[in-house]
Amino acid sequence: MASPAIKQESTQPPDKNRHLSWLWSEYSVIIAFVVIFVLASLLNPRFLDVNNQLNILMQVSIIGIVALGMTIVMLSGGIDLSVGSVLALVGVVSILSLNATGSILLAILTAFSVGAFAGLLNGLMVAKGRIASFIATLGMMAGARSIALYIADGGSISGEVTSFTAIANSELWIIDYPIIIFLVMTSLVYVLMQKTRFGRYVYAIGSNEKAALLSTIRVDRVKIGVYSLAGLLVSVAAIIETSRLNSISSSSSGQAYELDAIAAVIIGGTRMTGGRGKVLGTFFGVLILGILNNMMNLMNVSPHLQGFVKGLIIIVAVVFQKRE
Amino acid sequence: MSGNYVLEMENIDKSFNRVPVLKQASLCLEEGEIHALLGENGAGKSTLMNILGGIFPADKGTIKVNGKQVEMIDPRTSQQLGISFIHQELNVVADLKVYENMFLGRERRNRLGLLKVEEMCRKTSEVLAGLGVEIDPKAYVRQLDASYKQLIEIAKALLQDSKIIIMDEPTTALTEHEVHRLFTLMKNLKAANVSIIYISHKLKEIQEICDRYTVLRDGKIVGSGRVADQNVTAITKMMVGKSVSEERFVHNHAAGRKMLHVTGLTSAGRFRDINFTLHAGEILGFTGLAGDGRTELFESIFGFNKTSSGSIEVEGRSVPINHPKQALQAGIGFVPKDRKENAIIKDLSVYHNMSISALSHFERMGFLQPNQEKSRFHHFKEALNIKVHDPKVTIDKLSGGNQQKVVLAKWLEVDTPILVFDNPTQGIDIGAKREIYQLIVQLAEQGKAIIILSSEVPEILKVCHTIHVMYQGEITAKLKRDQANEDEIMKYATGSKREVEHIG
Repeated sequence: MASPAIKQESTQPPDKNRHLSWLWSEYSVIIAFVVIFVLASLLNPRFLDVNNQLNILMQVSIIGIVALGMTIVMLSGGIDLSVGSVLALVGVVSILSLNATGSILLAILTAFSVGAFAGLLNGLMVAKGRIASFIATLGMMAGARSIALYIADGGSISGEVTSFTAIANSELWIIDYPIIIFLVMTSLVYVLMQKTRFGRYVYAIGSNEKAALLSTIRVDRVKIGVYSLAGLLVSVAAIIETSRLNSISSSSSGQAYELDAIAAVIIGGTRMTGGRGKVLGTFFGVLILGILNNMMNLMNVSPHLQGFVKGLIIIVAVVFQKRE
Repeated sequence: MSGNYVLEMENIDKSFNRVPVLKQASLCLEEGEIHALLGENGAGKSTLMNILGGIFPADKGTIKVNGKQVEMIDPRTSQQLGISFIHQELNVVADLKVYENMFLGRERRNRLGLLKVEEMCRKTSEVLAGLGVEIDPKAYVRQLDASYKQLIEIAKALLQDSKIIIMDEPTTALTEHEVHRLFTLMKNLKAANVSIIYISHKLKEIQEICDRYTVLRDGKIVGSGRVADQNVTAITKMMVGKSVSEERFVHNHAAGRKMLHVTGLTSAGRFRDINFTLHAGEILGFTGLAGDGRTELFESIFGFNKTSSGSIEVEGRSVPINHPKQALQAGIGFVPKDRKENAIIKDLSVYHNMSISALSHFERMGFLQPNQEKSRFHHFKEALNIKVHDPKVTIDKLSGGNQQKVVLAKWLEVDTPILVFDNPTQGIDIGAKREIYQLIVQLAEQGKAIIILSSEVPEILKVCHTIHVMYQGEITAKLKRDQANEDEIMKYATGSKREVEHIG
């Protein structure tokens, strides 16, 4: 029994170097965030302005909430390409419901049920239909967008109940509601993933699905839950998006949101194949994307070039994560 | 005789996770001979051959081909030296055509870089005709029988003008008629000065076809010589060693009440008409060769695969099991084989791997209680002698034996009255093996009903009260421990003898 004992010794970080690499592998995204933050504040003095800071948070809140759901899906080993289209569909249907009933509560409930239902369908396709998540959600992406376009006749729909706009346009002290909702959602998802059975199961399935099944986890049910939850979080984002301008465009709302959300999750250090990653990582990933956008706007970089920078950051982030 | 070797492997050492698998192993191969490489499962045969095939490097030792020392860096180097490896699990690509498989990786092309399809097809037909089979070179491999897939692998080796061919249990998937064809073919190859290393458990075949033999046990060479000079018993003794029968962990037991009763369980293509009964306090062993269906059988009983007919009764109640969770609720626990693929969740910590199947034990108001997980793990750490410095590390950082103990702890935490262990000591060192045997016996003494699946007969003999032998999906023998010995079990496992005697 000497050999395993020796092995154990060697897994201990004996020197400083190993300690640093541990710090880097666990918190690389936070370090990257700090570096970018400091860099941004040196490059442009206006960056540190409180209003600008709140502005960044406000701008990332919608993508941030979508990215939380994406994190759960990707931790389970899947991907959800349908988030942007589902967001548009949820927005369109909930505005219709709002205009028809005049009730904000009903509009919100409608939003939740449409989003969760779309997610449920994704989950059923992936878990029961054994369709690769990429394909299943690609189908949902096309389908949901098409239905949104059909219902809204290709255009935008505006709300007729003005108090609906209060959801996204009110402030608590100086902090906008969407920021608060984003922060609350982040903490809820964090608790769900770290402190509950569901979260543990999601990590297990993403890491080794067969072993998870043989550990008597109801893999199918957990997966259905994962996609439904992602759909539900898209509903929350859709309500904010719709309420902010009191209207939703069936053609352009939510366009390419899936890419931003996936980018944030990847920058946040979640592994593409699942099983490894952190909700907090995604939170900082979202903030990094937000700061980059903000900086480029402040420095008058052409909006056409902004995608290039974003792409570069994603690739650099993944290259660094591969190192470990 | 000496100086005529096409291959000399000398003093090869190899360890995995610091567990030595090969110790000073040597193997010499003459030109134009069929050489049997013998040993029990886990003796190190495959490791030795994988080193020769360039799959992984040796830690120490030299390899000489035609008297010249060579470095086996990768499979390609090995192939270029004229060594072909026909694996037990067939390495053909089912979605490609026959000729595409034959030329995979060394396609013939014309000057424009386009494939010379007709030439490759012609060549394929030629080689296959030489083997006495006619297969359309343009047929998809998917549509062929297993035995033909095997022939394609052999044909591929011939195509590459291999001087040394390694065959790892080539006859397991073949019918008797096909085995004869293979043997004729091997004799032809021998006449053409090709050397063959033949790995098999079937001693009858060895006597029929092989010239010389080398026996491995626990990673060491324990014997080698001419097959004609030895009888089967002597070779078997070499394979098994003396240490086996000396040490039996299990004592006589008073059989308790009926825990698990399986009748007529059948799953098409996997197993047929399985009947057995398991009592509390009993350790029941299932053994057989590769492809005997025992793993599939218990994966079905555990709800991982579907069964087509038959019934499973737990403590007298018939239970429908379509999902592992239902098996657990019925009281069946299952420690699967191939730990890395089936049992450990490598991104979760040691703590979390222990608790994953019984999270309800660690919950309060819907939230997990890490402190309870910790204290429970420390209980198992003491009880099972798990060596881990910091259980917060992911489980893949542990050695094989300690990983397995964590997996056992997981099932002890679930605490089902019936426990199935599939190959519980796979890839772990002798010390940990002993501890696991002792634990299993101890569990039985506490009144648990236990089933062990293992291809290692000595292991089964050590710990089981009753032994079931399986052959191609059927139980061919049910033996009491006192009646069983390795030879007897091998006869049933290879299908050369069968009985259907019902006991218990």
